[in-house]
Amino acid sequence: MNDDDILEKLRNSIVKGNSEEALNFIYKAIDANIDPKLILNEALIRGADEVGMKYEEGEYFLGDLLLTADAMNDCMDVVKPKLIEEKHESLGKIVIGVPEGDLHDIGKSLVIALLQGQGFDVIDLGVDVPPEKFVEVAINENPDIIGISGLLTMTISKMIETVTMLKRKGIRAKIVVGGGILSEQSCKYIGADAWTKDGWKGVKLIKDLMEAN
Amino acid sequence: MPHDWEASRRRIGATIAGSRGIDRVPYFPIACEEIICRVSGKTFRELLSSPKIYGNAAIMTYEFLKADSLAIPTAYAGPAEALAFAEANNKEDIIKWSDYKVFMAKQGAICKTEEDIEKLEIPDHCKISLWDTCISAVDFIREKTRYPQSCALGIWSVVQELRGVQAYRDMRKNPDLLLQLCEKVYQSQMDLYNFYNERVGPSPTIFFTGYAFNKHMMSFEDAMKYEGQFIKRLQNETKAKIMLHNCGTSPYFDEICDNLDIFAINGSHPLDIEYWVGFKERHPGVTIVGANIDVSRELLNGTPLDVEEKVKENITHLGSGGRYAVGPICCLPWGVSLNNIMTIPKAIKKWGTYPLQTH
Repeated sequence: MNDDDILEKLRNSIVKGNSEEALNFIYKAIDANIDPKLILNEALIRGADEVGMKYEEGEYFLGDLLLTADAMNDCMDVVKPKLIEEKHESLGKIVIGVPEGDLHDIGKSLVIALLQGQGFDVIDLGVDVPPEKFVEVAINENPDIIGISGLLTMTISKMIETVTMLKRKGIRAKIVVGGGILSEQSCKYIGADAWTKDGWKGVKLIKDLMEAN
Repeated sequence: MPHDWEASRRRIGATIAGSRGIDRVPYFPIACEEIICRVSGKTFRELLSSPKIYGNAAIMTYEFLKADSLAIPTAYAGPAEALAFAEANNKEDIIKWSDYKVFMAKQGAICKTEEDIEKLEIPDHCKISLWDTCISAVDFIREKTRYPQSCALGIWSVVQELRGVQAYRDMRKNPDLLLQLCEKVYQSQMDLYNFYNERVGPSPTIFFTGYAFNKHMMSFEDAMKYEGQFIKRLQNETKAKIMLHNCGTSPYFDEICDNLDIFAINGSHPLDIEYWVGFKERHPGVTIVGANIDVSRELLNGTPLDVEEKVKENITHLGSGGRYAVGPICCLPWGVSLNNIMTIPKAIKKWGTYPLQTH
């Protein structure tokens, strides 16, 4: 099996969300001395992009996205030390949490799994996070992006409070809000830089914001 | 003038029957715990301190809203079912209480492991204090207003509370385990239904929260597997008529009505009014409660004029011939201005009084 075959099979196992198979091929890729950046970009990220397209076209669903994200995370555990050895930088640092008063974590968990799988460093603040906690972590960690995810309409008022406090404290990170309740109008109302109501689109949005920075 | 609940009952009944009704298009909001706390000035714990207090506060709120619907919001299959499971399985610490809104459960904490699912105890609702109060409050409302009440159930809304994000992995990796959990939730829902019937009397209609039916979450086939098949069983066992609530942004309403026997749907998406005009043509026997009035849009961010325009749009497109009730979906949270909220009944009076102006 040549390098291209290994990368293609790895990519296919990512698309299938098959962690076991993906790990098998990533070890083969490492053993074959394939450049870790090539593994990341040509197999893992391209596989994830294919899954994202299938999700957008209604062929794949939340469960498929999660399994792909899990397979990518398993592979990242293997390839990350190699990337660090080669001084490959992380795509960016993201702090993400669900604001105070909301304990729904399905959307946040999905986005975290997808972001980590793509090579971002993610700090998960969990659910029911007070605005002060967002500020404290933002000051200490200096993230590129702060993600605030919520399910409930009532969460919007806490998103406003959190964004206001972050801005008052001079936090310069871009703020992305996420949740099915949101719209362009509510994003402006909250004072965030960008919004998404979809986990997959959220990851694309964050990548775009990072590239624009 | 006191609220005429008999007139409200007749408005709703007439629109479901597909007739013009008595005077105007009915108004069917869902008043969540937050708005009941806001209107009554009581904390949620105070509301739960007695069925009479909770019942009276709910009546006061729906009357304040000038609604034609009337219900106890906690008595639906969401956090309150999570609390029942938490109590039955000695995991009460995963519940977080708030003063002026409903409590919440930490998603996925009750059924973290496969063993948790296998050993999951089904709650005996009559022994759960919260459910005892809620169902008694429902009975109090029925007694006081003579307004018919409905039992509220759901499967996936509870599964998500119990299993969290892991449920979506199970769907692909361990569907049998997930079905085992759905089955236990179904048994719990039947226990709740039976408790309701003993306390309040037979529920000829069921308000069913069908959260599985979202296009971005799962295929319709999976939604039928993990929720739809249980709706069919529920109908066979209870003979009750089902109103299906889904406040998601991409619901399978057409597919639901093609595959299940539903008398009414309650939602706020898609936002395109033409979809709803087409829906009414495709499913002439199904009552639409809501259509495209979404609380997180015009109500939250708009002006009273925006809200009035939205109500007008819905009524002029969907109101004639009955089988339509105005309803902002989902709940009315604290941040929504009372001016906007109170614009809805005013707009219904202006645009929804018969004879209607049609689009």
